[in-house]
Amino acid sequence: MAKAELKANQKTEVEDSSSLKGTLASVFFVGLFIVVTWVSVYYLFVDRF
Amino acid sequence: MINTAAEKIKVDPRDAKLSMAHFFVAFAALAIGGLMGLLQTLVRSGKFELPLGIGYYQLLTVHGIMMGLILTTFFIMGFQYAAVSRTAGTHSNAARRTGWIGFWLMTIGTAMAATMVLLNEASVLYTFYAPLKAHWIFYLGLTFVVVGSWVDGAAQIMTYAKWRKNNPGKPSPLLSFMAVINTVLWIVATLGVASTVLFQLLPWSLGWVDTVDVLVSRTLFWYFGHPLVYFWLLPAYMCWYAIIPKIIGGKIFSDSLARMSFIMFLLFSIPVGFHHQLTEPGIDPAWKFIQVILTFMVVIPSLMTAFSLFATFERYGRSKGAKGLFGWFKVLPWNDARFTVPFIGMASFIPAGAGGIVNASNQMDQVVHNTIWVTGHFHLTAATSVVLTFFGISYWLVPHLTGRKLTKSMNKLAIIQGWVWFIGMVFMSGAMHIEGLLGGPRRSAFSTYGGSSQAAEWIPYQIAQAVGGSILFLGIILVLIIFINLAFFAPKGEEEFPVGEAEQSEAAAPMVFENWKLWLGITAVLILFAYTIPFIDIIQNAPPGSKGFKTW
Repeated sequence: MAKAELKANQKTEVEDSSSLKGTLASVFFVGLFIVVTWVSVYYLFVDRF
Repeated sequence: MINTAAEKIKVDPRDAKLSMAHFFVAFAALAIGGLMGLLQTLVRSGKFELPLGIGYYQLLTVHGIMMGLILTTFFIMGFQYAAVSRTAGTHSNAARRTGWIGFWLMTIGTAMAATMVLLNEASVLYTFYAPLKAHWIFYLGLTFVVVGSWVDGAAQIMTYAKWRKNNPGKPSPLLSFMAVINTVLWIVATLGVASTVLFQLLPWSLGWVDTVDVLVSRTLFWYFGHPLVYFWLLPAYMCWYAIIPKIIGGKIFSDSLARMSFIMFLLFSIPVGFHHQLTEPGIDPAWKFIQVILTFMVVIPSLMTAFSLFATFERYGRSKGAKGLFGWFKVLPWNDARFTVPFIGMASFIPAGAGGIVNASNQMDQVVHNTIWVTGHFHLTAATSVVLTFFGISYWLVPHLTGRKLTKSMNKLAIIQGWVWFIGMVFMSGAMHIEGLLGGPRRSAFSTYGGSSQAAEWIPYQIAQAVGGSILFLGIILVLIIFINLAFFAPKGEEEFPVGEAEQSEAAAPMVFENWKLWLGITAVLILFAYTIPFIDIIQNAPPGSKGFKTW
C-alpha cells in the first residue's frame, strides 16, 4: 500500500513554497539600480572635471 | 514560541503615558517644522516673499531643528520606550521616573533653543556650524536636549538590564535588543556634538573666549552627524524587521540576521564622519579615504536588510499560494495602512541608498557637494523612508497606547496620506536631485545670481519643489488629523502592538550578540583608529581661530 502511494506521487510536480527566487531577483534589481546610479553620476564627474 | 513570561501583550498604561508625552512634542514639531518647509519651497520658487521681515535662514533653522532633531528624537525615544515595555516587560518605577526626567530635560531644552531661534538670535541652521554664532541659550538648550535624551535612553537600558538579569543565558527580545543598540549608538555619537557645544561653542558664545577652531568644531559635529542619520533609521528598521512581518501575517526571516545587521550599524556608522567633509581642506586625504571605505561597510547591513525583507514578503506570499517570480508581491496587504505606509518608506530607500553611495564617493562628491541634490537625498532617507515608517507606526501605536481603535475610515485616510506623501516627494525630492546635478546650491534663499543663465536653469525645478512642498504639506495636515483622531477621538477599543516571531523560533540567537564589552570595544577601537591621528593633525596644524559671525 505504502509503495503504491509512493509510485502514484512520483510524477506530481511539487511547487517549492520555500523558493526565494523572487527575493534573489529583487536584490539583483536593487544592486543594478545602485550601479547604474553610481556610473551615471561618475560619468557626469568625468565629463565636468 | 512564547517569548517570555515578562512579555505583556499590552503596554502598561503608566508607560503608555510617557510614550504619548513624547509623541505630543514630536507631532507639534512636525506641525511647526512642516509649515516652515512649505514656506521655504514657496520662497525658493521666486513667487513669494516672506512678510514682516522674517528671514529665510530663520525658517530654515526652525525647519531643520524641528524635523531633524526634535520630531525624530522625541518620536524615537517614545517608540523605543514603548517597544521595550512591550517586549521586556513594564518599566520599573525607577526606570519610568528616569524616563520622565529625560523627557522634561529634552522638552525644556527644546523650548530654550526654539525661543532663541524665534527671537532671531540663532539662525545658524540645524548644523550650527561655527563661525556662525548663536545666542548661548540656544547652545545650552541643545545641551539639555542631548543630556535629556541620554537620561531618557537610560530608562530603556535599565529595563533591558533587568530582563537580562531575570533571564540569564537567554537572548533578549528582539525589539528590546534593537532599541538598546540604537540608544547606545546615540550615546556614543552624541559625545561628539556634546564636546563641541560644551568645550567650544558655549564658552565662545558666552564671551569667555574670543575665537573658535572651526575645523575641530565641524569634525566633532560630523562625528555625530552621520550616526545621527542611523539613529533615525534604526527605529524604522525595527519596524521593518520585527513588526511588519507580524502585520502581514508572516514571519521574521531570521532573528540572528536582524541582530547582526544592527551590530554592524553600531560598528560602522560612527567612524565615518569625514565623508561629510570630503571638500574640507584641513583633513589629510588618506584619512578621508579610510573613512570612505568604512562608510561603504554600511552597505553590507543595508543589503542584508533588503534581502531579509524581500524574503519575508516572498515566503508569506508563497504560503498564500502565490506563484511565479513576483506573484507574492500582489498578495501583500495593500489595504492595511500599518503595512502600506511603511512599505512606501522601504521602497523609497532604494533610490535614497543609491544616492547615499554617490554622496560618499570622493570624486562624485565634487559633483553634488553643497548642492540641493543632498537636500533631495535626505528628504528621501529621513523625510520619506524614516518618517513614513514613523507615521505607519503611530497609526497603530497611538491607539494602542490610548486604548482606542484605528477605524476603517482612518485606515483609508492613512493610506491616502502615504500616497500623497509619495507623490509630493517625487516632485520635491526629484526636482532637488536634478537641480543639484545642474549645480543648484542648497541652504540658500531665492536668487537669480545677477541674471546668470545657469541660475535661470534652476528656477523651473524650484517651482516643481514648491508644488511638491505644497502636496507634502497637505500630507502633514492629514497626518495631524489622523494623530489627533487616534489620540483623542477614535472609538475606545484594543489595537494590537504587533511583534513578529522568527521563522525558526527554536534556533535562539547566539549569545555573542549580547556581549556588550565586545561590541563596545570594537566600536571604540574603530573610532580611535579612524579619528585619533587625523584629529591630532587637525589640532597641531590648526589655522588661527575665528571670531563669531552673525550673518542674519
